[in-house]
Amino acid sequence: MSVIAPDFKLSEFIKSLFDNAFWGLMLMVLVGLPAIMMVLFVIEMPVIDGELLTPFLAFTWLADPTRTLPIVHAFMATDMFRVMVFPGFGFAALLAAGTIFVERKMLAKLQLRVGPFYCGKVEGILQLMGDGLKLISKEIIIPAKADKPLFWAAPVLFVATAAAFVSLIPVAPGWVVADIDMGLLAVFAIIGFFPIITILSAWSANSKYPFIGGIRALFQMVSFEIPLILSLLGVVMVTGTLSLSGIVESQSSFPWIIFLPIGAIVFFITMLAELERIPFDLPEAESEIVAGWLTEFSGMMYGLVQLGTYLKLYAFAALFTVLFLGGWHGPMIVPPFPHEIITEGIVMGPVSAQIPGLPLFTQEMLNGALWFVLKTVGVIFFILLPRGVFPRIRIDMLLGLGWTKLIGLCFVNVFIALGLLYAGVLGPGGLQ
Amino acid sequence: MADPVFLGLSVITIGSAIAALELRSLVYGSIALMGTLGGIAGFFLLLDAPFVALFQLAVYVGSIAVLILFTVMLVRRELIFKKIEDGRRRLAGIGLMMAVMISLGAVFLDSGIKGIETDEPPVDFREIGADFVVYYWPALVAMALVLAGSVTGALVLARREDTENGGGTG
Repeated sequence: MSVIAPDFKLSEFIKSLFDNAFWGLMLMVLVGLPAIMMVLFVIEMPVIDGELLTPFLAFTWLADPTRTLPIVHAFMATDMFRVMVFPGFGFAALLAAGTIFVERKMLAKLQLRVGPFYCGKVEGILQLMGDGLKLISKEIIIPAKADKPLFWAAPVLFVATAAAFVSLIPVAPGWVVADIDMGLLAVFAIIGFFPIITILSAWSANSKYPFIGGIRALFQMVSFEIPLILSLLGVVMVTGTLSLSGIVESQSSFPWIIFLPIGAIVFFITMLAELERIPFDLPEAESEIVAGWLTEFSGMMYGLVQLGTYLKLYAFAALFTVLFLGGWHGPMIVPPFPHEIITEGIVMGPVSAQIPGLPLFTQEMLNGALWFVLKTVGVIFFILLPRGVFPRIRIDMLLGLGWTKLIGLCFVNVFIALGLLYAGVLGPGGLQ
Repeated sequence: MADPVFLGLSVITIGSAIAALELRSLVYGSIALMGTLGGIAGFFLLLDAPFVALFQLAVYVGSIAVLILFTVMLVRRELIFKKIEDGRRRLAGIGLMMAVMISLGAVFLDSGIKGIETDEPPVDFREIGADFVVYYWPALVAMALVLAGSVTGALVLARREDTENGGGTG
């Protein structure tokens, strides 16, 4: 007899397991499969090996190992895959989750604590999952006098805007969700939405601490947007393009941080301010105004805002990589896919299995993605580091820094870029 | 003619413009104003001018609307607005606007703009930039001077003397 659950009976438990399995299968057969079939009839099916995949044969083909990989290939070519899995949301959310864990663990080590320790036995590696489950299961409390439509909309809008930012980042050659000609301008336009959402959510909570935090966030973001935009003008001048993929391609021999270090430093500082990270975390200053503009959020609304914050962090770090560190360029370190597997299949003793459709990814794509992730993780590390090192600065010092020093440095950077262009070091006839 | 995207954008733009005028809540009014400005950005996209559209978003929605929100939230509204409820003034305003719109529309329709048919590709923004540097350079230089002057002015205004001499540990 257990003390924790005195009414526990093993037979009842096994019966409930069987019950659940039965009803799961029942619902799957009666509702799930017909629903999947209906969806398959509506969406456009790919042509695989010169043969149209029909909805009737879809399940058969998926179970057939010689045809599974071509179907996966066809799926990977769709926009849906790009948006949801690889350069888009899934990839970014994975990196963001890793960032949260590393941040907590690293801060703990810096301050001689242990950090997350018990969840998942090994150094608390499942802590994030536990936190997520906790946030999902918690009640969402809306303040009585809050402006409800805006208060509900703010977290969703925040995540949506962060995801729009993520969609502009080119991860590997050709792997970008929205490859538009004016990617950098679109980045500026999207960054402009964050202060609006922040101040609206802060106002809609109808509470003092969020409002103070929101006003601070607005001050900080609006005043640091100007040096942010100016610091990137140098890169635009030397590359002559606004497309993020074009900017990455222009750095095949050297990254721009070599020529425009001042722009990179200013962009990094403004990035910290836009992300509301220490030493610029005045909007969330937890020792002064509880949690700033996040004070009234609870449950999964808070979870969404956190998700958006870390997506934004990933997007800014990736933007730094794309603009100054050369994006996906790097020496080829990924080995080529073994050729005999493609021609002869996998041979294990007397058995050999031919798997058509290999390799799934090209060598260039894997190598590019690897270098991109390495550089981005490095930048994220440097974004996280100040949190364990620096104190928070005063708001007047912050605004003074933004409006006087950083803008001045931006102009210095622009003049360096102009000098490099006119001296013929870069541009036509120069190094490139 | 009846392009659904165009119609949807028109409904959004005009509807949120009317909402921006008519809503009692100033914050919702400014959100509606953002809708209007965003709808205009959508029109620029339809006109194959994504450069202008993105600038519209970055400058108008991202900055001007924020300024308006800021003002609305920080200033007590009784200080800036006095309520004048007057049906005749409102009718006169609507009538004036209709007159202006109808006359402008008549001028546009009369100018033969409907007869223009062009299949040319959209103008690249690089060509616009080249035009600015070559043909319109006096305007560009004047703009640059004005902007540099305003940035310098902002820097001068933002300089605070009292933080320099070590005080202010309040």
